[in-house]
Amino acid sequence: MSASFETIVMEMLTGSLTTIFNLLKVLVPLMIVIQLLMVYHIIEKLASRLEGLGKLMGMSKNAMFPLLVGFVMGVSYGAGTLLELNKTNPLSKRDMALVGIFMFLCHGIIETGMLFGVAGASVWVITVGRTLIAFGVTIILARTPFIRRMDNQVPISNSPQAQEGLKELADKE
Amino acid sequence: MKKFLRAIKDGAIKGLRTGLFLLKIMIPVYLVVVLVKYSPLMPWLEKIFTPAMRIFNLPADGVVPIITGIFTDEYGVIAAMGGFDFTTAGITTIAMISLTFHSIPVESAIAQKIGFPAVPFGLFRLVSAIFIGVLVGWLGGVIL
Repeated sequence: MSASFETIVMEMLTGSLTTIFNLLKVLVPLMIVIQLLMVYHIIEKLASRLEGLGKLMGMSKNAMFPLLVGFVMGVSYGAGTLLELNKTNPLSKRDMALVGIFMFLCHGIIETGMLFGVAGASVWVITVGRTLIAFGVTIILARTPFIRRMDNQVPISNSPQAQEGLKELADKE
Repeated sequence: MKKFLRAIKDGAIKGLRTGLFLLKIMIPVYLVVVLVKYSPLMPWLEKIFTPAMRIFNLPADGVVPIITGIFTDEYGVIAAMGGFDFTTAGITTIAMISLTFHSIPVESAIAQKIGFPAVPFGLFRLVSAIFIGVLVGWLGGVIL
């Protein structure tokens, strides 16, 4: 050990407490923003406006909503939205893959921007930079044969319309 | 207006609650990082990772927050960075690498739950993180 016991304890206590205090300055406004986004359904509205961008990334229009949720609010919110969506209006395999590529490269943009901004990083680079990188990578990968070969059909057995159709047929017979 | 005020109140409570929850992560992470920093392990880590960190234009210390981030999350990276002195360019590079490749155990589990194969997605993130790190590390010295 190259430092005395007191130095280590002091550094640990002051360091972790200042960090927590700095985090609270970010977390409280962040959670307020996320709550407002949810209450006013802002992301849903934004998703329908940004269909064109989704198309550029090879996605169908359903994919834009879970993607934006993950992008703006974080992976756990995005995954939750995907799970919810799978129950009512499932995405095709290709859409899932593209949403995954974008979302795991770049998520929780507000949270990380504020967090690392307070920590001393360049906010421009970590928000705009990451967004552009994820956008570019998704656009390129969407055009590779590997993704294009993927099924773009909504899994029939899951879709509610199919279920209803099958039920109607069964009833008629 | 009632809806608005309620959202603000709920959000503030959630933020405070998350902060409280983070105490449980931050203090142990900080403890380990400070201990490692002053232990004989640090010169050894520095010796091993100096060449690897050089491709990102980072000092050897940069390896500590990056490794912490792989196993914990963004908050672990922040806690671990607090233990060292980095420049703006350095912090930005570490942020870009860690934000692409972090919380691998937790996020792989999430990925698998929504139907993404964990290993290919993990590898994809690792490769992207290295590319992004090289790019930002190299640009960072120029623009920041």
